[in-house]
Amino acid sequence: MKKTVQFFRSMRFGILLLALIALLSVAGTAIPQGREVAWYAQTYQRFHGVILALRLHDVFHSWYFQMLLILLGLNLTLCSLVRIRKLSRAKKAGREVLLRLPAEFVLNEKQHAAIQNGLRAMRCREEACGDSLLYSKNAFGRYGSFVTHLSILLVIVFGAMALYMPKTVDRACLPGESVTMDDGTRIAVRSFRIENEEGRLDFTSELTVTLPDGRESGLREIKVNHPLSFSPWKIYQQTYGTAGAVTVQNLETGMADTFTLTDLVFLSLDGVNGLWYEAVYPDLIRDPSGNVTLITNTAGSYPNPVYQVQTASDGVYTPILAFPGEELQVGTLKFRFEDPVEYPGLRIKYTPGFINALLCGAFLMLTAGFYITFFCQPVQVRLDRDGCAVGGPKPEGMRIRIREWTEETG
Amino acid sequence: MNVLFFGSLVLYFAAMALQFAAVAFRKEKLGKAAWIAFLAAFAAQTAYIIVRGVVARRLPLSNQFEFATAFAWGVALMLLVLRTRMKAEWLSAIALPMIFFILSFAALQPREITDLMPALRSGWFGFHIGSAVISYSAFIVAGCIGLRYILLSRKNREEDSFKLQQMDWLSYRLVALGVLMLTVTILSGAIWAEQAWSAFWTWDPKEVWALITWIIYVVYLHLRLRSRKQGLVMAWYVLIAVPVVMFTFAGVNTLMSGLHSYG
Repeated sequence: MKKTVQFFRSMRFGILLLALIALLSVAGTAIPQGREVAWYAQTYQRFHGVILALRLHDVFHSWYFQMLLILLGLNLTLCSLVRIRKLSRAKKAGREVLLRLPAEFVLNEKQHAAIQNGLRAMRCREEACGDSLLYSKNAFGRYGSFVTHLSILLVIVFGAMALYMPKTVDRACLPGESVTMDDGTRIAVRSFRIENEEGRLDFTSELTVTLPDGRESGLREIKVNHPLSFSPWKIYQQTYGTAGAVTVQNLETGMADTFTLTDLVFLSLDGVNGLWYEAVYPDLIRDPSGNVTLITNTAGSYPNPVYQVQTASDGVYTPILAFPGEELQVGTLKFRFEDPVEYPGLRIKYTPGFINALLCGAFLMLTAGFYITFFCQPVQVRLDRDGCAVGGPKPEGMRIRIREWTEETG
Repeated sequence: MNVLFFGSLVLYFAAMALQFAAVAFRKEKLGKAAWIAFLAAFAAQTAYIIVRGVVARRLPLSNQFEFATAFAWGVALMLLVLRTRMKAEWLSAIALPMIFFILSFAALQPREITDLMPALRSGWFGFHIGSAVISYSAFIVAGCIGLRYILLSRKNREEDSFKLQQMDWLSYRLVALGVLMLTVTILSGAIWAEQAWSAFWTWDPKEVWALITWIIYVVYLHLRLRSRKQGLVMAWYVLIAVPVVMFTFAGVNTLMSGLHSYG
């Protein structure tokens, strides 16, 4: 049992796990992830069976990858526990160990003074002990490694919670309309724009969130990088779309209504005669012979919108390209094409706020841990009359520095 | 503005050529001339980055060209600091070709100043990318020191043993700085990703390769804890790790598409 625990907490095991995670990560980027099975069959042909069997098409969600992360968590837990025990023992014994260390450097007077000056310049704490002087600094630095390992463990745990606990849905919502979530929360979009006043791409929605208990967020603006947080909801400006707008007037009654259209739809009174709305495009190109090519993608804007529709009249279908402002009549219905309407694609996330706070706390702790480990290393030096000894958990840097000082003074 | 960029490129080339000549012919004056050329190149490059930032009205770190220019500048800054503060003259002959290589890569990229796309307009922009520049630069300079260590250790001279020990230590310190800054890059990127895309981590190729790079150097730090793994083995390690850093920097954006494909 003891040997098993020793193995699971060993650095060798930790390095093996990290190496395996790195190797699988390479595979996870070399092989495109999450595509259709047919794509792998076509791209990798006879090897696609191996890829699918080993789940190399979805490495990061495979059971063995997750198992590696769990084992790494176990390794970090065990080594953190052992490390904290060792640290408390080492703290008590540190001074005694330094006093017992044999002198590593034999020094003349000049070198002695150079080391003393150097250590004082480093602002080490000086303490007389018999014929010797003890210098120390950054005693807390010995905790750096512990803090780092513990915080990596916390990042894995809280990171897993942040990945798997929130519920996320993507919803398109036309300005003036709203979406209602399962718990009754209502998100109403008042307006959306793609460009700001200066003509820069901006993607801004104005919206309000109303919780089931009646609490309201008030009118708030969201942009890319600036989501709306209203507990426990977080609303992101994720994508956008452009919908066609067609006003339909019944010539017999004079009644009219404007429809905002995102999908294929048939506008009709009797189900036979009317207008099939297909799509609205940002622009078109006409070649000299009159052929038309519809442009499907421009940078956010619709400079010259064009409607692709078909009129249906007594079973006869006529494809038509129409521009905003134009009108068409089919039977007793008159269709007027309006300027297209832009709408936001919202990402709506239900997330308990404490997870993000915990994860960000672990991030801070990890950064601090690394900083303490490498840039606040403990210094312990015993300076005798004719020699000196270097102690502490990481004496290498101090030894090099002392040797530099001694060589400079000859 | 282009005069400053290409001026610095030419001056770095001149510094590199002079440094090689200084090493080959053992002429101290050529070494001094190389250093002067390097300082002039560094000044021109610094001026270029500042002017570009002023013209663009943002930090010039938004695309491959700007990042590569800043990356080369970061390596040059580290060379400057190490030479002046630690008297590491020996580093120039290896670091200068790296600077020239990275800046040449930048010269092959489109140089137009473009408006910052909405996803990049964030307070995290400078922090995230700036820390990546420092991190990659530290890893590259550590690799350069590793190469110098290997070359020097082949001479097998007793009088070099302390010099080798210093190099090994310096390389370790640079890797430690690189890991710290790469940690900042990854963590600040995760917080930014949560604000922009709703998830801290999406297994995007750039994220994954940053993680792979981080793991490689974290393994270095652990292996080095064992005294028998110090010295030559670790010098080879940091040298072999350099292509991984270069792939994370340029290869991922060139060969793989993802959320970090900003040009």
